[in-house]
Amino acid sequence: MSTYKPKNFKILKIIEETPNIKTFTLKPLDETKFNFHTGQFIELTVYGIGEAPFTPSSSPYETETIDLTIMRVGRMTEVLHSMKEGDIVGVRGPYGKGYPVEEFKNKEVLIIGGGVGLAPLRSLILTLIERISEFKKIILCYGARTPQDVVYKYIFPKWKKIKGLEILRSVDRCQVDEWDETIGVVTCLLDKINVDVKNTVAIVCGPPIMMKFTTLKLVEKKFKPQQIYLSMERNMSCGLGKCGHCQIGSYFICKDGPVFSWEQLKDIPEPFE
Amino acid sequence: MKIHINYKEFIDKLKEMFDKGDWISCSNSHFFKLQSINDFDKVELTTIRPTEPIKIFLFQYRSNIIENIKKNKTLFLLGVKNCDLQAIKVLDKMFISEYIDENYKNLRESIIIFSSDCPKPNQTCFCAILNSKPYIDNESYSTDINISFIDEKNLILESFSEKGEEILKNYFSNFAQPTKTDFEKRDSIRDFALKKILEFNNEFLKEEKKEKYYKTLKNTYELDNVWQKESEKCVQCGGCNFICPSCYCFLIREYSKSYNEKNRDRVWDVCHFTGYSRVAGGANPRKYKYQRFRNRYQCKFVYRYENFNFYACTGCGRCIEVCPAKIDIRKVIRNLLLAKGEEILV
Repeated sequence: MSTYKPKNFKILKIIEETPNIKTFTLKPLDETKFNFHTGQFIELTVYGIGEAPFTPSSSPYETETIDLTIMRVGRMTEVLHSMKEGDIVGVRGPYGKGYPVEEFKNKEVLIIGGGVGLAPLRSLILTLIERISEFKKIILCYGARTPQDVVYKYIFPKWKKIKGLEILRSVDRCQVDEWDETIGVVTCLLDKINVDVKNTVAIVCGPPIMMKFTTLKLVEKKFKPQQIYLSMERNMSCGLGKCGHCQIGSYFICKDGPVFSWEQLKDIPEPFE
Repeated sequence: MKIHINYKEFIDKLKEMFDKGDWISCSNSHFFKLQSINDFDKVELTTIRPTEPIKIFLFQYRSNIIENIKKNKTLFLLGVKNCDLQAIKVLDKMFISEYIDENYKNLRESIIIFSSDCPKPNQTCFCAILNSKPYIDNESYSTDINISFIDEKNLILESFSEKGEEILKNYFSNFAQPTKTDFEKRDSIRDFALKKILEFNNEFLKEEKKEKYYKTLKNTYELDNVWQKESEKCVQCGGCNFICPSCYCFLIREYSKSYNEKNRDRVWDVCHFTGYSRVAGGANPRKYKYQRFRNRYQCKFVYRYENFNFYACTGCGRCIEVCPAKIDIRKVIRNLLLAKGEEILV
């Protein structure tokens, strides 16, 4: 059953983003190209330890390698974080439906990320940057716990120079003089932006609690449920809508998601738990 | 093709077919593999489905998912009841519609089903209230040959597929067609069984009409207190999941020795277990017992109904028999209907 058999990928490069988040650049051992649609996820295997779903943070226009930004939280990621450049891991996929980028055309795209939730959004932003003239404007609101927890610190100076991409960042708390941008949870950034709600789509990714309050805030700001897109995460295990683990209502996140509109989820109990 | 045959002649014919494949009795209280032609005499076709779920032949408790299962030998399932055909319908929908699970497909294609009517239903049977019946007709899900009963000694064999037609032609061609009286006698046995099930369930539920269970179970989130009460006694042993012929969830276990010696298998999983939906870092979308309990009911009566337009519950009653806390799925649904103010006894 080739479907469940991962292909071997070599770890080319490891970047330490924060004390517990690393970005791994992977390349297929057989030198084939890896194609995916932004927002789709892959199943990453640490051989002998386990398998877990991750969404690539690299641009889908880059087909030689993929980047995965991974926080150390469980048994499998613990082992992964101890791995070195040159080690071999397994990848199968991509699975699911990604961001409906075509539907964002001629609209204002509001991207809201929290913590390591910026990983899939980075892939989306890189995609949007490639064709930036097709969108009215792009606004990124990013929140992290502390300035140390901000991922991709080296990318922001580059992004800030791009015309048509507006960036607002916040941290929940920090030392004196450590941060010259907003202090507070990410939702407070939504009060600072200027968007034409009727012609805007909002894309949210982050920890469950952040997704919940951001969605509530967007609804309060008169965003319609179909204008809000959420990147959902559960323990997608088979990737094919078979094993049942990521069931959310009558959807399987792996097959019908991981990107859902709030319209699809609003009637399901506790979608963010 | 339809033929009239007496029981002894039928068993003798099956004995002639013994070496055509492996034979499993699916009608006695437990499944068993027929070891010799004499074992055909032990098969009791009139009993209800066996204790174990029929999925064990298609989707084993534990199976390797790296290697392909090659199955060339035919597996004859003898005496499969309508509830188990319904279970195969759910599994087929999960494993060989949309995305094809090769191992399931190989096993599925190697199977020939001799289904049979279910004239002696049990107290725990409730297929008849779920739009199903204790016998097999054109509305039932795929079988190859069906065995129905005229009386103690006489049967009707009916083919429902090309494979079944071929078997009847090759082995049973010199038997007469059933008469009108044969069909009438059979129908009265069928009616009796159907009425019996409705009678057994009288105190719980009436026949499903107008998507009543779907609609009731879909909007029960405000009924947390009912779910909490119903799940109070549940010890989360997972018995109902394992014994359910249509529960198909599985867990993938990775234990490769290295990247060139890949090895992983899948085992049945249980949505009642705390760890089932837990994610790395410890967050759990279904933290509380009643949420997991509710999920199993909603999976069968709401989610799969929305996906497939039929219930993923077959009414076989295995979960009622297996539960150490004596939780009865029919009582749970009845109590929810009552809590919603639905009239259940119409």
